[in-house]
Amino acid sequence: MSILKQLFIFLFVLWMAEVTYAEGSPVEDTSVNSMQLDVNLMLTKMEAGGNDEFHSGKAIAVHYNYYFNNWLAADIGLVTTAKTLDQDRTDVVGTYRASIQTSSVLLGIKPRYRFSAPYEIYGRMGLLYWQTELEVEEYFAEGIPGGIISATDKGTGYYASIGGAHYVTENVIVQLELRHMKQLDVFQGQSDFPFDLTINALSIGVGYRF
Amino acid sequence: MQTKFMSSGGALCRAGTIIFTFLLAACDINGDDNLPAVPDLGLFMFVEADHHETEDTAQISAAVFRDGQPVNLVGGDVFEARTATERILLKVRGEFDGSYASSLPVDTSVQDVFINVVHEPVEAREDRWYPIDLLNIDPGPGELVGKSATVNFPPAVTITGPATDTVYTTIDENIDLTWVAGGEGDTMRVLSAVECKDGLATSSYGTEVDIAADDGLETIGMDKFIYDQNDDSPAVNFISDAALVLLQELLNKLSAGNIDPDFLVKQAEANPVESACEIRLFLQRRRDGQFDVTFDSGQVIGSRSAEVVVNYLPPVQSN
Repeated sequence: MSILKQLFIFLFVLWMAEVTYAEGSPVEDTSVNSMQLDVNLMLTKMEAGGNDEFHSGKAIAVHYNYYFNNWLAADIGLVTTAKTLDQDRTDVVGTYRASIQTSSVLLGIKPRYRFSAPYEIYGRMGLLYWQTELEVEEYFAEGIPGGIISATDKGTGYYASIGGAHYVTENVIVQLELRHMKQLDVFQGQSDFPFDLTINALSIGVGYRF
Repeated sequence: MQTKFMSSGGALCRAGTIIFTFLLAACDINGDDNLPAVPDLGLFMFVEADHHETEDTAQISAAVFRDGQPVNLVGGDVFEARTATERILLKVRGEFDGSYASSLPVDTSVQDVFINVVHEPVEAREDRWYPIDLLNIDPGPGELVGKSATVNFPPAVTITGPATDTVYTTIDENIDLTWVAGGEGDTMRVLSAVECKDGLATSSYGTEVDIAADDGLETIGMDKFIYDQNDDSPAVNFISDAALVLLQELLNKLSAGNIDPDFLVKQAEANPVESACEIRLFLQRRRDGQFDVTFDSGQVIGSRSAEVVVNYLPPVQSN
């Protein structure tokens, strides 16, 4: 929770700085109050911090940005992954495979730098609120019943990303982004074996500025 | 379409595969499952525990057979080995089907180890990454749960000869193995881990020699450890799978994991009789234990062992 507190404080300081900057700035800024909506397709890699070996997975992310000025926007997003499979394994108990499906609501900031050419670089950082379903499929020997079992948990975490965008027109953008999301203490309180879930992703997307 | 693939390059490929397989087979040391004395009918329990002189753990191996076939423990059923103060689950697959192995902390004061089949659906899954207590499909205890055996350790082994690093130059020589005699009731055997190098290739394998009596002296021919690959009927007796499980585990312990996991069944590439070989001799004193009356038969053995290293250096290697 200390990380979350630090992020809250960081976001608050940034917001105060922005308010102060906006009130004192003599320069007219055409980006103020502009908005952007973008959709990104993601190739994900999950890690649960143990001996897990997830296959790569897919996800989709939708972001809404509200620009305070030319370089800073509020970032609100929704990310949902497809069911991502861990490797099949066999141990002394049986043959099993775990899988994870997760969705997150993201809230943070998006600083950017726009070059004179139709390119910009940007980042995102903030907090996320996640809901994750973990499913385990397990089979034993002939005549011994196996099956599928699942559990769901909700919690908080954080995210950060860096990306580059190309303005196809003044309103239409294509973008490439590297993203890191961390879900903290998954199944804490329900299990003696909680874990942190890391999702790293490469995404490609399109955005519309209005 | 499949026939077309096989018709041209397929025949050549098949011939190559057959030749390759033949070459591999020619180099392999016999790795058949030679666990002895498993009856064709009934429930049979196998347990072996060895405590080496320099180790603070005993290597434990266990298996159950029904009508000659190994029974895999699944669904959270697992062998448990326990002393008065220590306990461990045997979660590592052994060298032969149905066998499980692990190391149990012991010292020389420990006389007995109790082996039991338990149902531990959470603990048996401890090596998994996810919340095993929350996501746990438990089929319940199997029919072997509660069955048990007791291993009794014999007195420790003290080797008095030959001296470490004694060199032998032909396979016609004898090793005069001497130790402090233990008396009646126990049996003795020698397991060896042999590594031979001819300058270009390496062979490594294990052998096994039974000793007639625990009387403190056994003369063993060097040909029980070193053999000629060109000899169709060598005197060497390769290590049984049951002994291999324990010896490989012991070698792992003694080397702190820095040994080939297949050291004792490695392909024989250098001809031992023409190579320089290091022979690690493990002298074991063995004592029969007891198995549960619900088993029809069984082999339950506790042993303590000591090691001496000798070398084989044929004349051509000496020059």
